Amino acid sequence: MNMALPFQCLKAYRRSVKGKEETLLIGASGSRLVVVESSSGQGSTWPAEEEASKETEAPAEDEERPGKRIKLTPTNTNDSNSNKSNFSCLALSNDQQYIVAITGEDKCVRVFHIDSDYRIHQLSQRPMARRPCAITLTSDDSTILCADKFGDVYALPLLMSPDDGVQDQEVPPTTSTAEQPETPVEFKPSASVLTVHSGRNRKVLEEQIRQASLGQRKSKEPLKFKHELLLGHVSMLTDIVYANVNGRGYIVTSDRDEHVRVSRAPPQAHIIEGFCHGHEEFVNRLCLVSSGRLVSGGGDAQLFVWDWLNYRLLTTIDVRDAVLRFLKSQAELSSIVPANEEGFKVAVTGIWNVPRSDAQRDEILVTCEGVPAIFHFGFDEAGKKHEQAIPLNGNAIDVTVIQQSPDSCVAVASVDYVHKPGSLKDPREQKQDDQAIPTFTSGPDGQWQADSTLDTAAGFLTKQLSTAVGAAGLAGEVDLKAIQGLLYGTANLRKQPGTDPDQVA
Amino acid sequence: MAGEPAKRQKREEYKKSLNADESNAALPKKKFYRQRAHANPFSDHSLAYPKSPSDMDWASHYPAYAVKQPQEKDEAESHDSEKAIAITQPVEIADIGCGFGGLLFALAPRFPTSLILGMEIRTSVTEYVQEKVRALRAQNSATSGFQNAACIRANTMKFLPNFFAKGQLAKIFLCFPDPHFKQRKHKARIVSYTLNSEYAYVLKPGGIVYTITDVEDLHKWMVEHLEKHPSFERVREEEQEKDECVEIMRTETEEGKKVERNKGMKYVALFRRLEDPAWP
Repeated sequence: MNMALPFQCLKAYRRSVKGKEETLLIGASGSRLVVVESSSGQGSTWPAEEEASKETEAPAEDEERPGKRIKLTPTNTNDSNSNKSNFSCLALSNDQQYIVAITGEDKCVRVFHIDSDYRIHQLSQRPMARRPCAITLTSDDSTILCADKFGDVYALPLLMSPDDGVQDQEVPPTTSTAEQPETPVEFKPSASVLTVHSGRNRKVLEEQIRQASLGQRKSKEPLKFKHELLLGHVSMLTDIVYANVNGRGYIVTSDRDEHVRVSRAPPQAHIIEGFCHGHEEFVNRLCLVSSGRLVSGGGDAQLFVWDWLNYRLLTTIDVRDAVLRFLKSQAELSSIVPANEEGFKVAVTGIWNVPRSDAQRDEILVTCEGVPAIFHFGFDEAGKKHEQAIPLNGNAIDVTVIQQSPDSCVAVASVDYVHKPGSLKDPREQKQDDQAIPTFTSGPDGQWQADSTLDTAAGFLTKQLSTAVGAAGLAGEVDLKAIQGLLYGTANLRKQPGTDPDQVA
Repeated sequence: MAGEPAKRQKREEYKKSLNADESNAALPKKKFYRQRAHANPFSDHSLAYPKSPSDMDWASHYPAYAVKQPQEKDEAESHDSEKAIAITQPVEIADIGCGFGGLLFALAPRFPTSLILGMEIRTSVTEYVQEKVRALRAQNSATSGFQNAACIRANTMKFLPNFFAKGQLAKIFLCFPDPHFKQRKHKARIVSYTLNSEYAYVLKPGGIVYTITDVEDLHKWMVEHLEKHPSFERVREEEQEKDECVEIMRTETEEGKKVERNKGMKYVALFRRLEDPAWP
């Protein structure tokens, strides 16, 4: 079966090149990036074709769970254009000059530039110690803020200085403050026999001494590029937002343990300003909307709208109910709704701001895992004012919004055409990738309808999809489980009851 | 495992016998509450924790300080299920990883006007301390002793800000924490650069973090990571030795006594929470 990965990330933006306004659409399908200009349909892919085909010969080991050991270099360090890891996140610099991306399996932060001929150039790839899961940029574009699965946020310069990244360069101690003090000094056991500790600790101590005597102590190499630990949660980070309000910079982070934390931006990122308390399930997405308010969502039935500078909950939006209403309204989807509606849960996978000239009224688009629709909510401080479900012909994977004019916006979606709508695991009988990238437009009335202005671009992207078999790090055969693993995982953030090791013991 | 059911049965019978008599003033027996010394701070314990500090039911832990509800409240208006959870003054001293509560019970009479909270991640150990609080309160009912001490089960590494508001605490004790010797377990240590930001958040400026350990390596680690954090400065030794809590910490904790018996070293370090600097 000829089937490739849907685009797991999508980004549309307008830029001005040599005085000409143009709209670019970028998609990431597996390990490959595709860019296209909307009016001309010109575009390119990364890595370039020949490399991509070379990659297919290699066995697709990247889909395996990566080992616990930290891989310091990606599979092919010498070939900077090689990549077998799947993209998990795309961010655009505020000046629209750079695309910052995360590839998951090799834990890399990659910076790309798209030139005026729509060629994609990779400027740098920096393998982190832990797998990054969210990125954003400071408002001056100088710094990438990279949040990882281990709960830490690092600052990396967007552009590496020429002497940075050189193999022999010693990282100044101030920039790697968080790294464990892996001093090359002679090994000394961390405790003495006098020390009071449990049997387990004693075993660890004995093991340490034994390892030292064998001279086998493997020490982690420090990262060979400039990076600075800013802050950390003892939890998996899920999203990060940078905000600049009245000249003050803030970092807002969300985690799996229901927290939304507001910290100061560097150089004072060690100061926590406050928490937006209220979520009872994991928080997965944060979105700063036009009015400056913050919207957060994840495993809860509601989205929360915050006056985040005062840590005050303004209102909530019932996203679960909106999803239920939508599913029940669609004949072929109503079977998904469980008999016991109370037990129905949603996992918010995306929240996007819809830019409007009216700063009092906020509008967002929201997607939930395994739901074939985009939900549009208009709201103000008092609550929801408007709701619309935009049906898709497959589960929503990613969405990107651009403002075409002061009152009109275009939303481009990436749709899962591999699985049946509403299912995370059942494959479709027939591939339907003809509408993998549907586009919608919304006028001043706020109603969304299908749109064709980006059809050329969407067509180009879709074409890249169907020829991309194998390039996605998947061997010719479509590995459904791998696709599922790449596209879906948000609901797994939900805590399972009865998993307390303390109670089992 | 052989013997396990018998042990569990004995524990259950013992705990039932304790519950039978509310006014029972006998101290709980430690042997029924022993538990392995380690807990993984990253795993999803089925913990109870408040959504925010104002959602915390403090009144049930400090009943003598519960905010009295106005009696003449209109019946129709009051939500009958809603009970008062607030207390008249906030908790000011936190003993993080309080174990069997040695420090907690030594501090309580020394700081009679402050509320002191022991926080412990292990279920059985927490139950022991809670039973002991109950027994000591019963024994000292004439003087209202130990009404200012309480213990809850909590994973403070994840949920400290759920319990305490910004700048609420005056003292945080970190006594004989799990050293987590393995390199890859260092993030599980109770002191790290990033976690220190949370201690700074719940401490008021001038507040003190007290650390003590018998493991020199861990002592150095805690000193390094707290000194590196811009919100803290180390308290000088003269001042440290004048602090009455230091002596209590050395002698009254269970681990402190064990180290004493083994003639081991005890490393103490105190850190003061500094004022936040102006915005850049």
